[in-house]
Amino acid sequence: MTAEEQQMIEHIVRLIRKTGISIDENTPLVSSGLIDSMALVDLLLKLEDLTNRRIPAGKVQPKDMNTVALMFATALRVGKVRK
Amino acid sequence: MARFRNLIDALADAPGDRPFITAWIDEDERETVTFAEFRRHARAQAKALSDRNLNAGDRVVILMSQSIPAMATFAGAMMLGAVPAFLAPPNFKVEASKYRAGLAGVTANLKAKVVVIDDEFPEDMMEHVYLSEEAQVIRAIDGKSVSADVELPELEIRPENLAFIQHSAGTTGLQKGVALTHAAVLTQVEHLAHALKIDGTKDSVYSWLPLYHDMGLIACFILPMICHLRVVIQSPLDWVMHPETMLQIMTEYKCTLAWLPNFAFQFVPRRTPPNRWQQHDLSSARALINCSEPVRSSSILEFENAFSTIGLKSGALHSSYAMAENVFAVTQSDINSKSGPPRIWVDGQRFRSMHSVAPVAESTPGAVSFTSSGRLLPNTEIRIVSDSGAPLAHGLVGEILVKSDCLFTGYYNRPDITGKAMVEGWYQTGDLGFTLAEELYVIGRKKDLLIVGGENLYPQDIEEIVANHPAIHDGRAVAMGIYNPNLGTEDIVVVAEVERMELLADTVEIETEIRNLVVLGIGVSVRTIFLKPPKWIVKSTAGKAARSITREKLFREHPELNDEAGETKHE
Repeated sequence: MTAEEQQMIEHIVRLIRKTGISIDENTPLVSSGLIDSMALVDLLLKLEDLTNRRIPAGKVQPKDMNTVALMFATALRVGKVRK
Repeated sequence: MARFRNLIDALADAPGDRPFITAWIDEDERETVTFAEFRRHARAQAKALSDRNLNAGDRVVILMSQSIPAMATFAGAMMLGAVPAFLAPPNFKVEASKYRAGLAGVTANLKAKVVVIDDEFPEDMMEHVYLSEEAQVIRAIDGKSVSADVELPELEIRPENLAFIQHSAGTTGLQKGVALTHAAVLTQVEHLAHALKIDGTKDSVYSWLPLYHDMGLIACFILPMICHLRVVIQSPLDWVMHPETMLQIMTEYKCTLAWLPNFAFQFVPRRTPPNRWQQHDLSSARALINCSEPVRSSSILEFENAFSTIGLKSGALHSSYAMAENVFAVTQSDINSKSGPPRIWVDGQRFRSMHSVAPVAESTPGAVSFTSSGRLLPNTEIRIVSDSGAPLAHGLVGEILVKSDCLFTGYYNRPDITGKAMVEGWYQTGDLGFTLAEELYVIGRKKDLLIVGGENLYPQDIEEIVANHPAIHDGRAVAMGIYNPNLGTEDIVVVAEVERMELLADTVEIETEIRNLVVLGIGVSVRTIFLKPPKWIVKSTAGKAARSITREKLFREHPELNDEAGETKHE
């Protein structure tokens, strides 16, 4: 796991504020109900910060954000490097 | 409008070269059709439907994502005199078999002849939309490839004919189809256009609202179609993941009107980084209308304070009370007001104990604030009644009943529930409110309904799933909506009894499984689950979980769950 993925996991744990739940890079987040669609924007903004990429609207769907590993793969696929 | 006999005549009358719909995908991709192009596209869809033997009066279910082809298919069905209904397309969270069960219930009630899907419809869901020999599943044609006008047979569509069916809430057998005639829809739009002083040459609408929701369908598709306005649409998911795009689109297209549920008024400023606000300009907006959730002053003020720096005019934020059963709006705040909808402060103690409203000064300790949903549209009446149905005076809280010249004709094919909803020509909304100085204030609900992000959900749908978990006692689960001031909308909260006391030793696994089941079943996330020992939930005399008493008990045990009906002044 990369340092950025670890930072994202810590961000998610703070966001969902549920005790006793452990998350790794492959834990389903959206399809398991841990993250609702209104929280996805927080993850996208964090992902943009961590990857230094702008992720355009319309290019990413909730299923692309279902796990931390998928999020980073999505950022690489559709993100535009910030100048 | 009323000068038209039906919605298709209204569409035919639109200036052909005026832009009608712009579908905004992202910064680099968007598509616009003029009214003439849209008509051509709709006729092509009509021909494709007609080739499948769809005739006047037949029902069509449209399971397509937010798009120009979806809207053209809807209009195309109406051109044949058929009766279309938008339903939510599948989202990846919901299990295919659950989606099918919900769809089958609705489609069977409609006795739909055709179900239309688009290319985005997932392959693995295909087998789940097959319903019966009678209901054919077809993919919408690519209307863009149609260059010439298709001739359709002459057909008389009368004002009293059904135009379409709107589905109000719920996911399974609870979902009700609101049947609306051309006359009712035209009349509603005429009233609303008058109240909003709509001008087809100057106004344009911004929308991320789903077409299967009355706000998305009526305010952001049918009204622009009848009043000949441009509407710029984007997908609800794209918006919720990038709320800043609302500012971007309104800036680019200088949109003047938008309808939004309450939570959006907090969501956009909170989820758009402040250092990017100045890239946008909201000076074109003349009415951003808070609708479909109880209106919260704090949400309106947050939006206003944030975006007055980027041109948002004072008085551009408005409110409305609307429901599918009245086609859409019942009230609309005064568009001429320079300060937006009135906000009042009332004595909190008196409000809670006597359900009566006594205005007080804002600085009064314990005062509760309410924001008006506006004034009645023309030819619309409301009555506030007690539990026994007796009319109440101004300033007293009771159930809101509505009567108007654009009320629905009934729930499609469901005389049983239509009869329960109507009393002597009045529609019983199940919402609670009061009137004061000709303004309607909507404060909550009498009926059990959760409104999350503007979407209506029945608690029964959630409770059934929760109670099916092996660790939960049958029938001992209660779902409720609790207002979350940080989100500006309700959170879904579930309280459920475990089968045996020892199961409470490790609740994390059970909670995780329940959360999972609810998402798979209906695609929504439960914010908090309270697992309680056996016999904790209060039962009614019929042996069912009593929701309101259980809710009160939960609040006593968990005072951190703040659930003021209004917004209390901090003392």
